[in-house]
Amino acid sequence: MNLETRNLKLGGHEFKSRLILGTGKFSNTATMIAAIEASGTELVTVALRRFNRDKPSDDLCAPLAKLKGVKLMPNTSGAMNAKEAVRAAQLGRELSGSPFVKVEIHPNPHHLMPDAIETYLAAKELAADGFIVLPYIPADPVLAKKLEDVGCAAVMPLGAAIGSGGGLSTADMIQLILRDSNIPVIVDAGLRAPSEAARAMEMGCDAVLVNSAIAAARDPAAMARAFALGVETGYAARQAGLMPKSELAIATSPLTSFLS
Amino acid sequence: MNNDLPDWLNPAPWLSRTFSAADVQHAIGTEAPDEETLAALLSPAAEEFLESMAARAQALTQRHFGRIIQLYVPLYLSSWCSGGCAYCGFAADRHTDRHALDFAGVEKELSAIKTMGFEEILLLTGERSSEADLDYLRECIRLAAQKFHNVAIEVFPMATEEYRSLAEAGCTGVTLYQETFHPETYDVMHRWGPKKDFFNRLDAPARALAGGMRFAGLGALLGLSDPRFDMLALYRHARHLQKSFWQSGLTISFPRIRNEAGGFIAPHPVDEKLLAQIILAFRICLPNVPLTLSTRESAAFRDGIAGIGISKMSIASKTTVGGYGDTGSEDLSRRSGAKAEAQFDVSDDRGLDEFCARLHSKDLEPVFKNWDGIYRLTA
Repeated sequence: MNLETRNLKLGGHEFKSRLILGTGKFSNTATMIAAIEASGTELVTVALRRFNRDKPSDDLCAPLAKLKGVKLMPNTSGAMNAKEAVRAAQLGRELSGSPFVKVEIHPNPHHLMPDAIETYLAAKELAADGFIVLPYIPADPVLAKKLEDVGCAAVMPLGAAIGSGGGLSTADMIQLILRDSNIPVIVDAGLRAPSEAARAMEMGCDAVLVNSAIAAARDPAAMARAFALGVETGYAARQAGLMPKSELAIATSPLTSFLS
Repeated sequence: MNNDLPDWLNPAPWLSRTFSAADVQHAIGTEAPDEETLAALLSPAAEEFLESMAARAQALTQRHFGRIIQLYVPLYLSSWCSGGCAYCGFAADRHTDRHALDFAGVEKELSAIKTMGFEEILLLTGERSSEADLDYLRECIRLAAQKFHNVAIEVFPMATEEYRSLAEAGCTGVTLYQETFHPETYDVMHRWGPKKDFFNRLDAPARALAGGMRFAGLGALLGLSDPRFDMLALYRHARHLQKSFWQSGLTISFPRIRNEAGGFIAPHPVDEKLLAQIILAFRICLPNVPLTLSTRESAAFRDGIAGIGISKMSIASKTTVGGYGDTGSEDLSRRSGAKAEAQFDVSDDRGLDEFCARLHSKDLEPVFKNWDGIYRLTA
């Protein structure tokens, strides 16, 4: 984590907000837009499969592109392998004009766990092709470093399965990723509550990406705002420097006081 | 024929089990559902817990699919059929007007459907016939794939290489109902022809996936046999395919037999309450598999179950051959003197706009495009 600036930097672009929103699963476009606006996010991801040039009322791309101060990051959800993801990324760039791509390859439709091998291959090719690449990955510290080496702008390890609300079940592995990463680390998937977003930020993550927890909330806009506050709180706590944890109580009258 | 179901499919051991209210409550709350969960939720003991099942199912549907309903539309290409299904008014020995769309007619239908806004289309025929054979189907798929992102078929079982040739033409999914998993009942219901081969049909979804299809749609025709037997076997079939084809998607449908032409009376009728119980049980046991409901069911039932258990629906369906291109917004399938007979009457005959407005009023988003043609085998 870069402590010198308050802005999140991704591929030369700076973002004040450290909350990224996913755009699937909302009950209608107006609710989605209200949640985005309430969240203060400046970066949203949208699946290429939800671009619909033939039917404006079914298209997620155009209404998102109209939002001021919000950048679009197409994602390759639906791709089964690197080849398909690269094709989807190229089409997404052509249609949206955005240099960002979230590489998302989850060939098993039942648990949607990312394919590390295909994700690596696609990320490498897309980074070489000039994309700002943010890969969605298993929380694997070795893979994270390899993706950094091939030019990814960030890595996005999962906290838990997509949509599961499982929270930061991979916290120990994310800690290892954070320890060595020179690029931003963004927790993507699994978060259910703003307190979990705060915890991710306290751990040292650079941002979080949230979709289901907001879209499936009773009041999505209010939950989006709550996540923004959670992210801010966690980031502020990290900046303030958390007191180190200790297994042992530290006595106010130390046993070794006789030594002085 | 050898009527023994393989062990991996045979649900018989579960049918003799009785379940208590406590078993059902445990099943509703579990985070690790298995076939014992399904057996409990399908049991008579679960009838008293439909409200709790619905609450659990809705939470799982929202978790995995969000507040959206994916829409698709069927296109009946041909009513020619070589089959002898006892329950079907289109069986080869029944007197009925038969039609197959020529390619110009197919294009006209596709254009009419595309104008409505659909992006996922399901092409249907009867059992293999000279009027609607593999070459005919391949050309229809090629035409559909030029206009629609997602093209699926509900036709006749075929060989792996035949499926592959259709996948290469742009087909992404195959729906094929086993009708019933009960071999003796299956034998009685399918009076002759290739469809009499239970195991050839049973293995067809696996051949389709091996041939490059991305999705397989499964189901049983509720009413033909003991629904609990059929639904447990269906679950086993689905789990078997998930383990064998881990990269493939499944969908599950719940067609109920109606009294079709020919005076067929369902020997094991399934009422709406049991249908709902079945759908909710599947949602709890297969939380991330899209569950589909067609316009065979009433508007009230469909509105009620949408977003609770069901995540994918057809609407504005014409079950006649040539139903879309010739008409305005009127439902040809219900009109007397229609050009062709419908295979079955649609029960939910609302138009697309009316249905979408209803979904919106329930805080559900109708989604037309949820996949992209760029992911096709040949793209």
